[in-house]
Amino acid sequence: MSDLSTLLWKELLDLSRDYKTILTTVLLPLILLPILGLVGIVLVSQQPATIALVDEDYCESTNSMFNITISSRQVAEILYEELGKRGFKVIEYSDMSVVDNPLVDLVVVIPKGFAANATSLSSTASILVIKRANVQASAMAEQAAREVINWLSYSLARVKIDALSKYAGVEASSEAILSPIITQQEVVTVVGEKAGVEEELKGLLARFLVLALGIVVTPATSFIVDGIIGERERKTVEMLISLPIPLSKIIYSKILAATVVGIIATLSDVAGFLTYIYFTLLVYGVQLMLFIDPLLLVVHAFTSFLTILTSVAIALPFITRTRGIRSASNIAGIVTIAATIIFFTGFIVDYYKLPMNVRMPLYLIPFTHSVLAIQLYAIGYRLESLLHALTLLALSAVLLLLSVRTLDSEKILVAPPS
Amino acid sequence: MRAVDVVVVDGLIKVYGDRRVVDGVSFKVRSGEIFGLVGPNGAGKTTTLRMIATLVKPNEGRVLINGVDALAKPVEARRSLSYLPEEAEVYPRLTGYEHMLFHAKLKCPNNYREAVNYGAQLSGLGDRLHDKAGEYSKGMKRRLLIAIALMTRPQVAILDEPTSGLDVYASYSVRKVIRKYSRESNAAVIISSHNMLEVEHLCDRVAFINNGKIIDSGTPIELMNKYSSVNMEEAFIKAIEASTI
Repeated sequence: MSDLSTLLWKELLDLSRDYKTILTTVLLPLILLPILGLVGIVLVSQQPATIALVDEDYCESTNSMFNITISSRQVAEILYEELGKRGFKVIEYSDMSVVDNPLVDLVVVIPKGFAANATSLSSTASILVIKRANVQASAMAEQAAREVINWLSYSLARVKIDALSKYAGVEASSEAILSPIITQQEVVTVVGEKAGVEEELKGLLARFLVLALGIVVTPATSFIVDGIIGERERKTVEMLISLPIPLSKIIYSKILAATVVGIIATLSDVAGFLTYIYFTLLVYGVQLMLFIDPLLLVVHAFTSFLTILTSVAIALPFITRTRGIRSASNIAGIVTIAATIIFFTGFIVDYYKLPMNVRMPLYLIPFTHSVLAIQLYAIGYRLESLLHALTLLALSAVLLLLSVRTLDSEKILVAPPS
Repeated sequence: MRAVDVVVVDGLIKVYGDRRVVDGVSFKVRSGEIFGLVGPNGAGKTTTLRMIATLVKPNEGRVLINGVDALAKPVEARRSLSYLPEEAEVYPRLTGYEHMLFHAKLKCPNNYREAVNYGAQLSGLGDRLHDKAGEYSKGMKRRLLIAIALMTRPQVAILDEPTSGLDVYASYSVRKVIRKYSRESNAAVIISSHNMLEVEHLCDRVAFINNGKIIDSGTPIELMNKYSSVNMEEAFIKAIEASTI
């Protein structure tokens, strides 16, 4: 143990003075993640979108029976005002030639006969919305225009229902006629306990933590590549492996140091993510601490540790058999990509909901247990989460023992022929 | 002190692909003796030294270090030896002192402080020992590494080209350290070298190696007499020529 602690001391001392690695692993995610998140929000809000309004009807119609008057000008003015409030640039045009103008993202047309149809009880009035294909700003403008038109439609329907019920001499609620069936929603946990918005946010955090496992693997495998192939290329490895200690201890010390790097990276990423979320939630007035479960973070740290061990154990026998740092990095990259695919799907798929015949082959991939350990904990299945964490522990231990057994000093010392 | 065979190398063979890089090398080195392994590039010197240091496994043959079978018990054998590779480098972010502390704690955890003090004295680096090793000159780095190899007073020191790439002053200083250490500690020192002057003045016994085979061995004077040469360089060239006829 004392040999291992001395080896680890050297690795960590060297790492602590490697300012570039510390900067890229710890500080950059901590600073960049919130900045990128905020920049994303700002960019989306700053995306300019221009809406053109064309009033082809330009007339007013009255239904004397109900005493309803609709003017196309009035509708155009409401659209102008409401879309303007939502941050869109709204311009009124007199004809349809505006469709050819590429600077306009959305054209809203009030066609001829609109006012007459809108006041009628037997026909439907329409508003034409012309959207540009594959233009993000156009899609956003369309969404906003639909909301305003729906609101106009609903308001007009209420006026018509009120007039009709008055005319018929019956008491009727416009709500009961427009929405005779409504949906009521309650959110509960998988075990049936009431769940609020905080519970949903906890789930979001858990999903992010699954995704963050991919961030953990990258610096850890890079560190191992540098620790073995880098030492060979920097000509420090020969003296190191000539020391009177088993090679396995040298490798374990490097793996432990890589784990430290990985865990620091993940803590930094999570801290960056939480900072970003904190700023976002300030807008909605939700307290950050309401959805942070310290135990979930502990589960994540433990899973990260085991995930790193597994990744390194898989990559190790291949890394030591490569000629140089470039090919070793490629191998580490393949392992990282394989892991990231699992973690990305874990972000969008609930693995525990997959049918058993799909899950069984996935169990052979150690990273599946990393995903399940976090996902199951987040929904309250703590025992099952622990079982997957223990499976991951067993798998990583076996893989590590096997991969260290395949190593000998000669393989590390002498690069294989190209 | 009675000299004993601390290193026994017997019939070492190493094959890479279809090439025999070491072909039946045998020799013995006694305590207190400096033994030189001399040969042209690619002769098999480094591979032989790596096999003695237990870093490379021979296809055939055996190595005994202080009576311990180095193939069967490599970690135990390494406790009695120190190895300085030809192209060894330092960790640039660690100080010279930290290098010594690291090696001493792993080689002799019970009296590492004494080893570090001795290493500091051997290196002659003075206050610079606390600077980062990346800031050292090539000569300072080599002195540091030689001090690390010798500070724990190993019974066997294997030094591959110890003065490689050093200027005249630095080489002289390194040779003085090696000779002093060998005499004071009664240790067996095996060095490989291209520098015939170094071999002539430093080594008690020398083996000429070519194409993986030892072609001759003896004291520098014996070899110079045998090949009727005025110096070791001439003796070496004549020995190589004789072996290739």
